[in-house]
Amino acid sequence: MLKRVGLIASGALLACLAIVASAVARPSATASAGAATASCSKGVSVGMLAPITGQAGSIGSDQLHWAEFFVSQWNKGKGHVKLKLVQGDTQLDPAKASTVAQSFASNKSIMGVIGPAGSDEVQAVAPILRKAGLAFASGSATRVSLTNGSWKGYFFRDVPNDGVQGPTAANYMFSNLKVKSGDSVMVVDDQESYSTGLADIVGAALSAKGVKVDRESISQKSTDFSSLVAKVTGSTKVVYLPFQLASQAQLFAQQMQAQGKSAIAFGSDGTFDSSKFTVNGSYISFFAPDVTTIPADAKTVAAFKKQYPGATSPFGAPNYVLAQMYATAITKACKDGTISRTELRKAFAKVSLPTTILGTPIRFTANGDLAAAKFHIFKIVNGKYQTVA
Amino acid sequence: MNWNLFVTELVAGITHGSVYALIALGYSMVYGILKLLNFAHGDIYMVGAYIGLGIITVFGGPLALTVNVVLMLFIMFLCSMIGGGVLGVMIERFAYRRLRTAPRIAPLITALGVSFFLENSAQLLLGAQQQSYNSFSWANGPIALDHFSLPAGAVISYANVIVIVGALVLMLALTYFVQRTQTGKAMRATSFDREAASMMGIDVDRVIVVTFFIGSALAGAAGVFNCIVYQQVFPYMGFQAGLFAFTAAVVGGIGSLPGAVLGGLLIGLAEAFATGYISSTFQQAIVFGILIVVMLLRPSGLLGRAVIQKV
Repeated sequence: MLKRVGLIASGALLACLAIVASAVARPSATASAGAATASCSKGVSVGMLAPITGQAGSIGSDQLHWAEFFVSQWNKGKGHVKLKLVQGDTQLDPAKASTVAQSFASNKSIMGVIGPAGSDEVQAVAPILRKAGLAFASGSATRVSLTNGSWKGYFFRDVPNDGVQGPTAANYMFSNLKVKSGDSVMVVDDQESYSTGLADIVGAALSAKGVKVDRESISQKSTDFSSLVAKVTGSTKVVYLPFQLASQAQLFAQQMQAQGKSAIAFGSDGTFDSSKFTVNGSYISFFAPDVTTIPADAKTVAAFKKQYPGATSPFGAPNYVLAQMYATAITKACKDGTISRTELRKAFAKVSLPTTILGTPIRFTANGDLAAAKFHIFKIVNGKYQTVA
Repeated sequence: MNWNLFVTELVAGITHGSVYALIALGYSMVYGILKLLNFAHGDIYMVGAYIGLGIITVFGGPLALTVNVVLMLFIMFLCSMIGGGVLGVMIERFAYRRLRTAPRIAPLITALGVSFFLENSAQLLLGAQQQSYNSFSWANGPIALDHFSLPAGAVISYANVIVIVGALVLMLALTYFVQRTQTGKAMRATSFDREAASMMGIDVDRVIVVTFFIGSALAGAAGVFNCIVYQQVFPYMGFQAGLFAFTAAVVGGIGSLPGAVLGGLLIGLAEAFATGYISSTFQQAIVFGILIVVMLLRPSGLLGRAVIQKV
């Protein structure tokens, strides 16, 4: 009996030691994963995690096309390291994103990653990519907590976070939509973490200035907003809709029209889709400018449209800039003819582009956020998105 | 008292409740005869909605309709009902028939399998993106925007009227069919005792096929009704609607047709008034809380029969 107890105790002790040892060994494992070097002579691969198919397929394709466009332009030049883009379709699903991220982590030729697109996906892939020593940079994930320092030196984004979006939307309501103390604003979230977080920020910003906030919530799967629209009163100036689906914002705004409500619909970046949210007079905040309206980008946009005919959206261009930043960092890291994930990560964090197609200089803060970030406001006029701020 | 809010919530509740009731009827009919919870029923509703969208596309799309709206609606309902009905019959023939004598868990799991099969097939064939009937912008009759005036300054759109009246007509037609026709009597007899009905010369297979056809046709119509008011069509739309309709059937008393209608309307109204007067955030918790109370007070549903089991 005593012998059996002793064996069990020894086994338990060994298991504990193994767990402690693996935990202690983790940083060195990360370091060794990132330290392996590769030659730059045949080009350097960058992975791209994007929702290329599925519900957000139009967004993901646009992101991929802009990154591919930069790579094709870059590779036309001579005398610098060629880039290769490796596609990974996440379908905006954190589980699928994790699977693809795992394959990127195992692929020794991939030195850095663009994406993923969604904040939930970023949270899902972060431990995998961090362990593999890979830098990963999103052109659309805006959740504030992503840059709280947990993945410092690994995760980056070239778009502003929701901490900028919420106050920008609230300030625009005060300064341009004539919302003042005592007025009512309805704030409706879609019960997803992105939406509730943003709704809280905007609601707090409005309440702080004496606005009566009618805080509502409805499932993202719901298509009947009529019960909620009935609560929009004559004194409701704006209905703020931080939804993830543009079609839901469209439906809400249409149902307001059907009930004869005059409040202005104001969507967040999740509702930015000129093919789905088209109700005249509505507003949308978005993390990137519309590059098709920036005069200095006319030549680039024309070349892009020649390569990828059809519509483009502001979701795409930030990925062009990320590819550009990787190209700059790879050039620096490849000075000795070789590159490692660690080298690229460190070089990427320091990239500073004085001019970009986004119309602003781009560099990262210490936590990987965009420095001097700004959100943009669009108004829907006859189905077209016009930049108003 | 804000009467405008009250009337608007009433309209919203009856409209949504009518759609739930139509789907719940199919659940109840199939359960009444086969004691099968056909979880694929919500997906037939989704297929019906896609058939309606296909008809709109055939006639030029919402912004450039080439046909009178009334005629198009008639064709949409006809095609979605026939399409839904045929799909229901095929599901019964290929997925459920062989399992009639199997333990009840087997067809239940098969029904879930058929549900996932239909959802994934729709996603593969038609895409995952939400698509819209856009009946707010129909070129020659924006029925979701045009409306009648109601008391207290409230309005009811033509689309809402079509749903409420259309659902009522279908429910009355079903009641007439079940109560007054030979096949309806055969359905009631089969529901009461399948074995005895068979011994009395009733072709039970035929009755089951007719039941699946009618129940599924109603679900197909419900898909179109839903989308002319609430617009969106997507592969997973049948899941939540099916869940609510199933709940409606249980609350009304599963197997009871008037119970299914009553349950559907109750859920629709509870949803609308919970949103309007209590909290949109906790809407579903409130609705299902009410339902739990109903079930505790009447376990066999509001109009259901208490089944006495021999031991």
